[in-house]
Amino acid sequence: MKARKIPLNKVVYHKEIYLFVLPTVLLVGLFAYYPASSGLVHSFYRWNGAEISEYRGLANYRELLTDIRFWTSFKVALLLGLVNVLKMIPALAVAVLIHRVRSPRMQYAYRVLFVTPMVIPMVVMILMWKFFFEPTSGVLNQALRSSGLLDLLARADAWFGWGVFSHFANPAWLGEPALAFSALIIWGFPWVGTFAVLTYLARLQGIGEEIYESADIDGASAWTKFLYVELPLILSMVRVNLVFVIIATLQDAVLVLLLFGPTGGPGGVVQVPALFMFQEAFLMLHFGKACAIGVVLTAIMFVLSKLNERFVRIEH
Amino acid sequence: MAYQTIIDRKPSTYVARAAKHTALWLALAFAFLPLFLMLNISMKSNAQFYTSPFGLTLPFTWSNWVKASAIVTPYLANTAVVAISSTAMTLCLALAAGYFFARVHVPLSGFLWQALVFLMMLPAIANLTPLFILLRDMKLLNTLWALIFVTTAMGEAFAIFVLRNFIEELPQELFEAAEVDGAGHFWQFSRIVVPLSGPMAGAVGIMHLLRAWNDFMLPLVVLRDPGKWTITLGLMRLDGEYVKYWGIMMAGYALSSIPIVVLFFLTMRLFIRGLTEGAVKG
Repeated sequence: MKARKIPLNKVVYHKEIYLFVLPTVLLVGLFAYYPASSGLVHSFYRWNGAEISEYRGLANYRELLTDIRFWTSFKVALLLGLVNVLKMIPALAVAVLIHRVRSPRMQYAYRVLFVTPMVIPMVVMILMWKFFFEPTSGVLNQALRSSGLLDLLARADAWFGWGVFSHFANPAWLGEPALAFSALIIWGFPWVGTFAVLTYLARLQGIGEEIYESADIDGASAWTKFLYVELPLILSMVRVNLVFVIIATLQDAVLVLLLFGPTGGPGGVVQVPALFMFQEAFLMLHFGKACAIGVVLTAIMFVLSKLNERFVRIEH
Repeated sequence: MAYQTIIDRKPSTYVARAAKHTALWLALAFAFLPLFLMLNISMKSNAQFYTSPFGLTLPFTWSNWVKASAIVTPYLANTAVVAISSTAMTLCLALAAGYFFARVHVPLSGFLWQALVFLMMLPAIANLTPLFILLRDMKLLNTLWALIFVTTAMGEAFAIFVLRNFIEELPQELFEAAEVDGAGHFWQFSRIVVPLSGPMAGAVGIMHLLRAWNDFMLPLVVLRDPGKWTITLGLMRLDGEYVKYWGIMMAGYALSSIPIVVLFFLTMRLFIRGLTEGAVKG
């Protein structure tokens, strides 16, 4: 039941109800709304966080627009967002496969097994991948070497002239500007370790058994069933998740920070907006400029959330 | 015709089934690789690691785990303090606020709700810079209190969304009966809502706890003193050592994963519930 509307003359009788929301208002006001508005105000100031605080209009924003690193960071985030959207596919595929497993016991077993590696904390996972990318003792290079793929890559390199792979040296995945973005793509392979698998699976299992039975009676093949029963449901879920994935990518600084350090990799080639903001604020002490980046990020996030709302509303 | 299709389908179903399971096991093998290597290398000395990085080496170097636990335990303790306090605080405040929004519509209700919806869209990371200044001015830098308050403030929006919905769906007769007896809001809250909120509060709590546990940027900005560091910062330091002791590093990673893994398996059902609630409401 929705909240019941209290007529104005009865509000006094219910006045104690305000005490329920008061602590939340105070806490959220102080630690979320106050900093957000202070950030908005200070984005128009030259500010080192302490004594120097001088109004300079839109100068911070103008500086950003002419800063090549600002544009790079958004380009990287955009590409990374697209990559992360594509990385949803394996998780979806796994959810469909598990859903298709006949025996309930096997299905349960698969579910538990797939969940286990997901539970490893994100930071540990990223650091494990940092270890995988180590030039000499890392798993990736060892696997490439022993499988002969490195030779293949080196030959392709000689042909195309990338100047990245050779027979003699181990590729430095995190140190070579041309490889840095590939490392961001590869990390997390086989990309099934997201909790999204669980939500997809829960939705798929909402499909009634009778739909499958009638499809069987009509002699539908596994492929047809996928195309007409599961895919439409999946596409609706993807649509809901699409913007969430992009928003999450835009906000994330931890992945690049842990793999490449605060400057965003060799020459800053994989710098992302959130980390760029961190760098400006806490390494360069350009607090005003950092606030401006924060405002831009918030604005983009706001637009994306609104877009998402419309997407979801259309669906209902 | 129909008979024909059934005959035709049989062998292909078998092949399809085999392909399905092979694909799943292959994905699993790769997904478990980091976990397997973490545990495997955690039992190697550096000499063993350099001679055979990925194979099994005997004898197991258990001392890695002892050394790693000495490094990691203080970080884990700090993290537990922050995550548990913040979760408790979030649940108390969000349940009360959820009651406020669910039960009556009074002046300011609409405005406060809109403010909350807006908070959901506010990216926490964009707030980091002014938040740092605020915490510095409040003399909260380098304290765990800062993490507890800020994590609670940022996590409340989601919690209130879910809990408001939960309270709205409680049988209305419970409240009506109480009101007939002249019970006020505090009585209704503590005798009706709180006792019934167990599973839902658990689901919200576990989501919040995991998020607080894995937080990285906020502790990085707030905490200077390594004695106060949370586990994520501790792991970064472990990785950044100049001379690497791979075995100790991996044992540290494993040790810091264990509490979360155990917690997750104890509360899996709650967690999945929280996840689907969030997916519907988010």
